[in-house]
Amino acid sequence: MATAIIETHGLTRNYGDICALKPLDLQVPEGEWLSVMGHSGSGKSTLMNLVGGLDRPSNGALRVGGEDLLMLSEDGLARFRREFVGIIFQQHHLVPYLTAVENVMLAQYFHSVPDEAEARSALERVGLGHRLRNRPGELSGGEQQRVCIARAIINSPKLLLGDEPTGNLDHKSTVMVMELLKELRAEERFTIIMVTHNQEVAAWGDRTIYLDDGVLVREERLKVEG
Amino acid sequence: MAIFFKLIPHVLSWVGIVLVLLRGLSGHRSVVTAASMAGFVIGVVGAFILLGSFPGSFSFGIIKSALGVSFLLLWGVSVATIYLSTGRRAAISGGGRFVNTKLGAGVVSGLAGIVAGAVCACRLTGTGGNALAVVLLALAAGALAYALVFAARAVDRLLPASFTVSMSGMLAAVVALLLFSSSSILRLDLFSPLSMKVMKGVHDFVHQFMESILIPDHLFVRPVVWKYIGFLFGKEVGFWGGMVIWFTPAVLIAMAIHFERLPSVAHIRQGAQRRRLLAAAIRVQRFRLVIPVLSLVIFSAAAYQSSFPSVEYWDPKPLPVSASQAGEIVIPKKGDVNLEDGKLHKYLFKQGDSEVRFFVLMTPAGKLTVDLDACAICKPDGYGQAEGSVICYYCKTLIPLETVGRVGGCNPVPVPFTEKADTVVVDGMTLLNSWSATVKATARVKEGGK
Repeated sequence: MATAIIETHGLTRNYGDICALKPLDLQVPEGEWLSVMGHSGSGKSTLMNLVGGLDRPSNGALRVGGEDLLMLSEDGLARFRREFVGIIFQQHHLVPYLTAVENVMLAQYFHSVPDEAEARSALERVGLGHRLRNRPGELSGGEQQRVCIARAIINSPKLLLGDEPTGNLDHKSTVMVMELLKELRAEERFTIIMVTHNQEVAAWGDRTIYLDDGVLVREERLKVEG
Repeated sequence: MAIFFKLIPHVLSWVGIVLVLLRGLSGHRSVVTAASMAGFVIGVVGAFILLGSFPGSFSFGIIKSALGVSFLLLWGVSVATIYLSTGRRAAISGGGRFVNTKLGAGVVSGLAGIVAGAVCACRLTGTGGNALAVVLLALAAGALAYALVFAARAVDRLLPASFTVSMSGMLAAVVALLLFSSSSILRLDLFSPLSMKVMKGVHDFVHQFMESILIPDHLFVRPVVWKYIGFLFGKEVGFWGGMVIWFTPAVLIAMAIHFERLPSVAHIRQGAQRRRLLAAAIRVQRFRLVIPVLSLVIFSAAAYQSSFPSVEYWDPKPLPVSASQAGEIVIPKKGDVNLEDGKLHKYLFKQGDSEVRFFVLMTPAGKLTVDLDACAICKPDGYGQAEGSVICYYCKTLIPLETVGRVGGCNPVPVPFTEKADTVVVDGMTLLNSWSATVKATARVKEGGK
């Protein structure tokens, strides 16, 4: 059994009177690909924001990579996000007036210092060696998502979070992105937590948990060869 | 109470010195603390005794020499630092290693403390120097040093660990703070004499150049040409030349740090880790730049303080005097003005279109002297009297009161006079001749001659 990279005990998040996440106990072993499913408003993104250090819990314990996130200051959380987490969003959130390589270098800049050669090589790894100087508007949805992946992995994170990364993609692009993630995970050995509505996408993971109204209602251990 | 306020900038400068030393020699904090405290007390007491035993320029000269040596040392170190930053290795880098030993840290902190303490003591002149005063002063200096060193240590603990100080940066800050502290004391100030030396150096160079091309400048160069050459003899050239010499060491040190090679990270395979190490090295390098840049600011403050001293000069309005039938100007020693009170007393003598400014002063040796309110070198801007000296307003040279009445340099031009009963008698024609022969010609022809 691998060491748990994420451990939560009674993890809760309230927004005023609304309880987005009810006391949750969860363990994610290092290197696992965990898919998180559930209807809209079930607490998937809330959970992802909490483990990614983007939000603070209202109650409970949360340890990620040995760090007690509740004890970290704002600066500490920023350092944690910078050095430990990579995030892929559904809407890409690429800077529109920067080229693909500059978007990747931006992540390097906020982490430490930019290195163009390394950014180029990351884009080549995701199959975009020919699109280095194109701006996001000049790329297809699948290509933009691959830039996001290059950006997310450039700082060698231990934890890769995906918030419906294939939500805007067609089937062919979805498969391409999933295959790419599988390949990179095998090489880099990071842990993936992927929020999705799509059963087919969830099936790429090692395990799927189902949230409903902020409660973990079901868990499936899957192994489907993509 | 006034003396307490006067001491504040000096004491704060010393606290700054201790703080920089604590950062720069972080491996020897207790040695730095003890040595700088002991040095400060020794400096205060030693200078107090010295000033009491040898009043006049001798004691100030010793302290000023120590400041001058520290500035020269900074120059040497800055040149060596920029040389070493090119990647060359030389025996001179051993100096830095010595300073980083226990003994080196103690010596540097002790010496800095002694000079800083001595500068502080210069503010205490005239307070008497018996044994009891010395003991009380030592106790007060010790208590003050103890309190302030621990304040400096508290500030040091608040600074981030990555805020490191290079050896050369540390020296730049220490020297800058010493010069800032001393620049408010006229007899210790280095910047004004430095500007003057530059001005004189340029002047001498031009003369030598003229001679080397066999043109005796004073005889053959027309006044219109002098207008252009005279620019080189102006005090602006001295000021800006002095500024270049003043700032260059700190600039060289900052450049050396800026161009320092970053550690090689080529052997690290993971890109993020490689970049993280590089970023950390760049951050440390930027922190190391803070102190030399701060030193430049302190050097600027010292130069400003030197150029615009907050000292109030005794500069009475010249009293008009006239000559008798026999052409003699007779000034009573006592009356409205007491010529023997040790203060500068200025007079204005007019005859026809000509006018002459002169002053009468009793030197500390008890001798009266009559001098033109101008020297034979500078533009005749006149003199003011400050603590223990008169100052030439044009070039800011301090003339110790003991030497007023002697001929040469930037000294006021002495005028023959006689003492009859309770009066001082000066010949009017001698005054006029002396003024036009030396001062008037110099002022018109070459902007003061320097």
